[in-house]
Amino acid sequence: MEIKTRVIILTAAMASSTLPGCAPQPSYRAPTRPEPIAKTAPAPPAPAPPEPVKQGLPQDSNIREQDIRSKTPPPAAAKSSKEPTRQASVSEARSGEATPALPPPLADDSSLLAKITPSTPPQRAASLRLTEEGRKILDAGDPGKALGRLEKTIVIDSTNPYAYFYLAKAQYRMGRYRESLNFLDIAESRLGPEPFWQAEILALRGDNYRAQGQLQRAEASYNQAIRINSGNRTAADGLTRMQGEASPAPLPSK
Amino acid sequence: MVNSKLRVFSISLVALLVVTSSGLVFGAWYLKQLEDKVVEKFEGRKWFFPSKIYADSYFLYAGGTLRIQDLSEKLHRLGYFEIAGAPKAKGEYRIAAKEGLIEIYLHDFDSPTERVHGAPIRVTLQGNVIAKIENIDDGKEQYFLELEPELITGLYERIWQERKVVKLAEVPPLVVKSILALEDERFYHHFGVDPIGILRAMWVNLRSLSFRQGGSTLTQQLVKNFFLSDERTLSRKIPEAVMAVIAERKYSKQTILENYLNEIYLGQRGSQGIFGVWEAAQFYFSKPLTDLTVGETALLAGLIPAPNRLSPYKSAEAATKRRNVVLAKLLDDKIITGKQYDAALKEKLPQRSLVKVTNEGPFFVDYLRRELEENYSNAILTKEGLRIFSSLDLQMQRMAERALVEGLKKLESTHPALKRKSDDDGLEAAIVVLRPQTGEIKAMVGGRNYGKSQFNRAFQAKRQPGSVFKPFVYLAALTHGGQSGTKYSPDTVINDSQFTWAYDGQEWQPHNYNNEYFGAVTMRKALESSLNSATSRVAQDVGIRRVRELAHKMGIQSPLPAVPALSLGAAEVTPLEVAVAYATLANNGQRNRPLAVKQVVDQNSKVLERRDVRPDRVLSPQLAHAMNQLLKGVLDRGTAASTRRAGFTRPAAGKTGTTNDYKDAWFVGYTPDLLAVVWVGYDGPKKIGLSGSEAALPIWTEFMKNATASMPVTDFVGPAIKPEERE
Repeated sequence: MEIKTRVIILTAAMASSTLPGCAPQPSYRAPTRPEPIAKTAPAPPAPAPPEPVKQGLPQDSNIREQDIRSKTPPPAAAKSSKEPTRQASVSEARSGEATPALPPPLADDSSLLAKITPSTPPQRAASLRLTEEGRKILDAGDPGKALGRLEKTIVIDSTNPYAYFYLAKAQYRMGRYRESLNFLDIAESRLGPEPFWQAEILALRGDNYRAQGQLQRAEASYNQAIRINSGNRTAADGLTRMQGEASPAPLPSK
Repeated sequence: MVNSKLRVFSISLVALLVVTSSGLVFGAWYLKQLEDKVVEKFEGRKWFFPSKIYADSYFLYAGGTLRIQDLSEKLHRLGYFEIAGAPKAKGEYRIAAKEGLIEIYLHDFDSPTERVHGAPIRVTLQGNVIAKIENIDDGKEQYFLELEPELITGLYERIWQERKVVKLAEVPPLVVKSILALEDERFYHHFGVDPIGILRAMWVNLRSLSFRQGGSTLTQQLVKNFFLSDERTLSRKIPEAVMAVIAERKYSKQTILENYLNEIYLGQRGSQGIFGVWEAAQFYFSKPLTDLTVGETALLAGLIPAPNRLSPYKSAEAATKRRNVVLAKLLDDKIITGKQYDAALKEKLPQRSLVKVTNEGPFFVDYLRRELEENYSNAILTKEGLRIFSSLDLQMQRMAERALVEGLKKLESTHPALKRKSDDDGLEAAIVVLRPQTGEIKAMVGGRNYGKSQFNRAFQAKRQPGSVFKPFVYLAALTHGGQSGTKYSPDTVINDSQFTWAYDGQEWQPHNYNNEYFGAVTMRKALESSLNSATSRVAQDVGIRRVRELAHKMGIQSPLPAVPALSLGAAEVTPLEVAVAYATLANNGQRNRPLAVKQVVDQNSKVLERRDVRPDRVLSPQLAHAMNQLLKGVLDRGTAASTRRAGFTRPAAGKTGTTNDYKDAWFVGYTPDLLAVVWVGYDGPKKIGLSGSEAALPIWTEFMKNATASMPVTDFVGPAIKPEERE
């Protein structure tokens, strides 16, 4: 719980600096278990569809980075000409905290092609390659087309958890949060002990809950994702956005 | 006398004037009528386009298994033709079985999401396993190969006109010149009717004392095709000529020519008429019009007078002869050079066999059509040229049809009492095949002979499921526990003995098969052996309403009475409902809607509708997995153990079903990747006197053995993490 608290403080701080004049909500300050946001926020935000997220795989950080930078003042490291990596960026943000740093982020395990070895069964290998294709189509912003590809992957190998993950992601992009959560259930039930992917699933689950207006569950999922992988950007970003959504709109200047 | 003559003259004159003016008025009216018809046709909608239903696409991948024979048959049905050498043009393929090679020059294809350009592909096999798939042109390895889906049937009214409309500018000049040279040399010089052409034709016919040449212009042919019949009578010829003149007066030569090139009839493929030059190029040569060689162009133009008699599908020899005549004419008219002529003469016309659209899977098509009619009117479906991509696997469909027909025949031969004198009330069956992960209907057979009975028992027949219903009882028990406080598990001991269930002032007593009771049994044993008494005891403890609720959640849509007999399947459901409910188990507790239509695309390739896989979690994966394990026991040790003896050995779960009165025999069984439900019975209230394991299971076994032969062996995998354990 300690770790979770720190993450919440971090994201609240990020959000408060994003929206000047908006104080972080008390419920985000130091809960051991986050209280329902509805209790502290003036009104829960409407279950608005998620902002179109163009980033697909965790390592594709450019778009997400810009997204974050648009809401937060550039951290010191970001001033360098070198684009920070996705995981480094979270670590950098964390490094400014007074509380002890989180465990280092997990190694990036997002490459599906890297999972193909000579001992991989052919149907799994084919399914992974197709999933990779589907992921690219998804990243290119065509979730409908990606669904067509990804549905084939589960026909070839119905136990491929990554296929279900990206099916969930495609459904999320199409605004079908319930279906997305259902696919995440399957992905989770098919997944072995892979903390990187467990965190990915939890983070996407958080995105879905947030889009549905279930903020407490969203927050819990994000936090759990970050506890498993402190480098999970989707979760960190989700918490930041939640904070932004929960803050009252600034009064118009007279 | 003079006056009398004058009077007669006057009367005659008046009469003549009246007749003439009436004739003129009538003539003007008639001309106006004809003109209106011509204008309406030229400026209104000229053609209707049938919608086409396609099967699912065929997907190959490196490492997957493949039988050369299967692929060869598939390619043949898709209109590819086998050649001896390396394929050089789209639609050709070569099989080198000894070397384990298949080379295919793929067709272009408009998939619902993109235009796929044909490329030459080499598939290398090691035994029955695909070792490599590569592009022959650039040697680049690719890991998948997706063949275009097969056409199942078309939706049309009266006649199926297959046509793709093209602009005149899209037609190669050689095609236009060749057709004009043969059909209407003076097209650009006449006014719709060609007196010189008529005189010449008359002279030719007089000299030969037979009808050898017609004097119709191309415009007249178009008018005839648009409005009139084929009869050669004066009453048809006159309006044809008049309308041709009207058309020429109102429209440009280019417009008339373009319409002709799209309207002309050029052949027949079963129920499909081939109309227009673009469609003909596809039909005869499997290539776009723009890719035709000189020889192919000559043949196409030469087919117009008698497309079926001169068709290369009928006789390559006759077609070659006709082509050569046309080539000579083109050379004489200096449309082609001597060099082109010589090269074209050398083009070999292969004898190709005609692949007709056989309207396979008629029960599936009926089901799909019903689904479509919820969103599209009949007029749209038959006239707007939609392309409907379905979930059907034609290979599985054939396997299912064969298993059903052969299985029933076998039953009737081993149990002669099942055979009825009349075919009308004979033994019937239905099969539904689903892919649990997607809900796609891969095959559907609604009866043994569609020609005789179109009643689709797969989704229209409401039958008692019998013991097929029992897993819902046990699932409800595992989910909710008993009202007695019992927490059920597969090892919970249940009392299998006679008892009476009192409800609503009534009493009901379940009986076991052969009145044999086993006393204390585990839930596992009760399910594997399909014990009625034990099951009903569990249902009583759980509460029949909870059982009903769970069955509905799983996918049973028919109303279910909340009475004790429901626990033994005393309700009416369709095989499709049963399939959906059991597929939920196979899919680890996620229910999918049954999918027949996957995508609907209009003529401009715009996706009108897409039906995605949309799972709905109705059971926890743990519970679904527990039930899968229990139902595996039915095949391994229980009432369906004969399937193992019959050679179906891969991991599978299932349940037999027999109604109390022996009117319905069921088997529903599934591997992790494929589910099939088989029902056997009579349409009328007659007993078949056989259990599910005797009547339905053999059909299921035969189908599943074939359908899963090329699939990797997989077992049911339990969930790795309990979602309930999440925070």
